[in-house]
Order: sequence, then structure tokens, then C-alpha cells
Amino acid sequence: MFQTLALNTEHYMSLLSARQKLVASNIANADTPGYHTQDINFQAEFENALSGQTPAVTEPEGLAVKPDGNNVDIDREARLLAENALRFSIASNFARSELNSVKTAIQEGKSA
Amino acid sequence: MSLLSALSISASGMSAQRQRTELLVENLANSDTTRTPEGGPYRRKDAVFAADPSVAQFSSLFDSEMGSGTGVRVAQVVTDTRDPEKRYLPGHPDADQDGYVAYPRMNPAEDMVDLLGASRGYQANVSAVSAVKDMIQRSLDLFR
Repeated sequence: MFQTLALNTEHYMSLLSARQKLVASNIANADTPGYHTQDINFQAEFENALSGQTPAVTEPEGLAVKPDGNNVDIDREARLLAENALRFSIASNFARSELNSVKTAIQEGKSA
Repeated sequence: MSLLSALSISASGMSAQRQRTELLVENLANSDTTRTPEGGPYRRKDAVFAADPSVAQFSSLFDSEMGSGTGVRVAQVVTDTRDPEKRYLPGHPDADQDGYVAYPRMNPAEDMVDLLGASRGYQANVSAVSAVKDMIQRSLDLFR
């Protein structure tokens, strides 16, 4: 049971890092003419990652395109930046409590 | 680890915005310059950005399959081609035979607005760096 949970958390965290990297590129390219926002379809890719597939980069639709061909919405990226960092923090706290419960099991076993 | 390449992507964004700020400040400083090494009055300069996939080179060998982020670089510095502004100053050493001096065609509002944009762009990249730094720190905390 521990193995599956730890593995899922690991997939979740690595997918979050991949997404955060794309958010960082979108922010860096907020003034680049012709640049299109990059993202990953998080839910679908998380299910794929569980079966060992690598995430595909997509260009989200419905964003307003500026006259220079750029469609980065800095507010959207700011929200995703904060959201990814929070989700990552939750996942890492969860992983740590999982590790701590294993550690407790080992230590309590020793003292008996 | 893709988080580390996210740091270099944000760094490339910071560096590009800084270079743009340097050009804008140069424009403001030279708004009354009538002599340049190329001859004639100063001409307004601006940076053109281009997406640069080679920024995260080291890690791209490692996790090219994990969503390729692209950095940014200054591809080109463009010089304003508008005609200089003629001012009637007959006593000026750079005046032509009719007494007109060619001054740079400069709109301070244009440069100030661009400067604000560059500064906000820089701040956005700094926020991205601190969010990613926080995530890396959380991963390291797992070892404790």
C-alpha cells in the first residue's frame, strides 16, 4: 500500500514540476512576438503518467491573441504559478508524513 | 529535474527584460543627443524577443520527454527609422545652412510606458523564481 501511494505522489510531484516549467517559459516569453502559451492537460496526463506515459505539451485554446501574435495571459500564469506551488507543498507534506509513519514503525519496533 | 531548468528559463526572462530596460534607459538619456558615432542624431532603440529552446540545455538531455520549456533571448535590437525632428536653433554648432538642428524623434511617454512594462515583466519572472525555489526547498525537506 505504501509503495503505490508513494509512487502516485511522485508522479504527481513530477507532473507539477513539468507544468511549473511551462508556466515559467510562458512568463519569460510574455513579451515574445508570436509565442503561444504552453500547458499540459493535468488530469489526463496524471492518469497517463500512472501507466508510465510521458506528458504531452498542448497549446490551450480560448486565450486572447495580441496584435504581435502572442497569447500569454499573465494573470492566468500567475494563478497557475501559485496553484502549482501550493499543490506541490501539499504533496510534499503528504509524502513526508508517509515517510514519517514508516520511520515510526521502524523506531517503535526497535524499542520493544 | 525539470524544476532546475524552470529556474534557468526564468533567469533568461529576467536577463532579456533587463537588456530591454538598458535600451529604454539609453533612449531616455539620449533624448537630446545630436551627435553619434554613426553620424546624425541619436535614434531610438528597442529589443525584439525570441523564444529560445536551448536555454535549459543540460537538463534537456535528461528530461526532454518531460515537456520542453522554452526560454527567451533578445534576438535583435531595432533602431527607429523615423525622420529626426528639426528644431530651429541657428546658433547651434550642428545646425544646417538653414539653421535647423536634427534632434532624435522621441516620445518620453512611449519609453516610460515600455519601461514600466519591462519592470513588471522582470517582477513576474522574479515571482516565478521564488515559487520554483520554494518547490525545490520542499523537495529537499523530504530528506530531513
